[in-house]
Amino acid sequence: MRVILAEDSTLLREGLVRLLAEEGHEVLAAVGDADALLREVEAHAPDVVVTDIRMPPDHTDEGLRAAVRIRELRPEIGVVVLSQYVERNYAAQLLTSSAERVGYLLKDRVAQVEEFLDALERVHAGGAAIDPEVVRQLLIRTTHVDPLTRLTPRERTVLEALAEGHTNAAIGEKLHISLSAVEKNLNAIFDKLGLHRTTGYSRRVLAVLRYLES
Amino acid sequence: MREPVAAPLLMRVAGVLVGCLTALLGLLYFVVAGAALGAFLLWPRTRARAHALLAAGARRLTALERGRRSLFFHDVFPEHRADDRQILRYLAARTYSGLLCAVVVGLVDFGAVLAGIFAVGLTRSSMTWVDVLSQVVLGGTLLFLAVQGLRALTEQDARLARECFGPSERELLQRRIDELATSRAAVVHAVDAERRRVERDLHDGVQQRLVALAMLLGRARRGRTPERADALLEQAHKEAREVLTELREVAWRVYPTALDSLGLREALGGVSERCAVPVRMEYDVPVPLPSAVETAAYFVVSEAVNNAAKHAAADEISVRVRQRGATLSVLVRDTGVGGADPAGSGLTGLGSRVAALDGTLHVDSPLGGPTTITAELPCA
Repeated sequence: MRVILAEDSTLLREGLVRLLAEEGHEVLAAVGDADALLREVEAHAPDVVVTDIRMPPDHTDEGLRAAVRIRELRPEIGVVVLSQYVERNYAAQLLTSSAERVGYLLKDRVAQVEEFLDALERVHAGGAAIDPEVVRQLLIRTTHVDPLTRLTPRERTVLEALAEGHTNAAIGEKLHISLSAVEKNLNAIFDKLGLHRTTGYSRRVLAVLRYLES
Repeated sequence: MREPVAAPLLMRVAGVLVGCLTALLGLLYFVVAGAALGAFLLWPRTRARAHALLAAGARRLTALERGRRSLFFHDVFPEHRADDRQILRYLAARTYSGLLCAVVVGLVDFGAVLAGIFAVGLTRSSMTWVDVLSQVVLGGTLLFLAVQGLRALTEQDARLARECFGPSERELLQRRIDELATSRAAVVHAVDAERRRVERDLHDGVQQRLVALAMLLGRARRGRTPERADALLEQAHKEAREVLTELREVAWRVYPTALDSLGLREALGGVSERCAVPVRMEYDVPVPLPSAVETAAYFVVSEAVNNAAKHAAADEISVRVRQRGATLSVLVRDTGVGGADPAGSGLTGLGSRVAALDGTLHVDSPLGGPTTITAELPCA
């Protein structure tokens, strides 16, 4: 795939460029701030953009704002943001704009090379990739009464895998259950969350969002 | 807070004598004006008007007193107007104490004349030693009493003026409380700024390096050939050593442990060793310092030296840490380009740290340099 990177730490940027090149991806540009990122995206039309959230000048959420903007202007480009900490509100901002071709990963996830590359592939294929840690923390936080508490433990693990952006087949593999069991669980989840019969993918996304907003 | 500089003794003596004269004026005023206005003051329909007249005159005399305090005693009064009641009360009390003072001064003069006569008598040696002794004891005792009385009365004069013109004890206390509240808030602010900086150091330095290191290892594991994997492992090993160095530096910036174990002098030596620009260090502190003062002094030097090396393009930095009496003075001067901003976050933080110890921080950094940063820290 053709990738553009935005990361202000030179060391990490170089590492990512090398890693992606070794994997046979094409890195069109690697930049250190959000403005340059937007310029490069305009110039090159990549398949996927990977950007750090905290970048110069203020080291707050420049990368996230750029990512949201790219999603508005060029929805066909996949966007993966790397976050310093689990920020529920950042994740929600990014996913409400649309939850296709989008990833929200903790920065440390890059260290687990396989998982990172896998997440990139998923986003490139049109799916979503949400960091397992984000999902885990969100699950811990959802203790107050909301539809999620009505889910069985099995349904919760399925939703968790769904939120990470896996396909039904991948969820089945991950949890060692059959595809039909996955589908049954998903239907139960959609019912409990009050999601009507919308098209398959956006329903999945809505479930994830419900999950992030809870 | 700076105390005003005390006036020279001769001026103060003159002030006391002038005070005796103005007290006579006050007495005269009260007698004359009291006699003229007395009847009107008693009659309800004219009371207010008479009172206002009396106060207006008193206000003039009070202004004279105020001028006398400023001129002879270097008192500094804030701009505020006392009301009529305060003015009259002040003038009455001040006149009374001034007259008493005049009496005591008269007694001292009288005693001086007596002492002169006594001295003349001594030279003619027409006295027994019992007479001499009794005269000396009596004279000495009276002199002591007179001096005590004068001291008490001059104190009283100063206190009365402060109560009427300000700043009164209460205002001084209030001012001190305001100062403390401000410095306390500034300290909290400075601590937060420090924490933000530490977080940034950890995130931008250590964490990025660790992620990069893990990535190198991940790539090594996926390496297509053993040679490639070896090369990546080699890099990862080097990276790991650099992470350690970085971590040590961050921890040191958070708090230099050498301060506790080796003291200020050694910790400052560390600052100059780590600085790329040559640092000339003068250290003259004969007695041990309180640890809060040591820490503040350390951070003043370390911040100033780092700024000079980083932003001022200085080619020499001189540091002087000196203790004189109950004050530790820290001076850092560099030959750089100047233009340091005292309102910048680093210097503001230092200022707060120093102010919290009742010290002062002064930054002098004209464009084109040199930059001088001085801190005075009380270490009592």
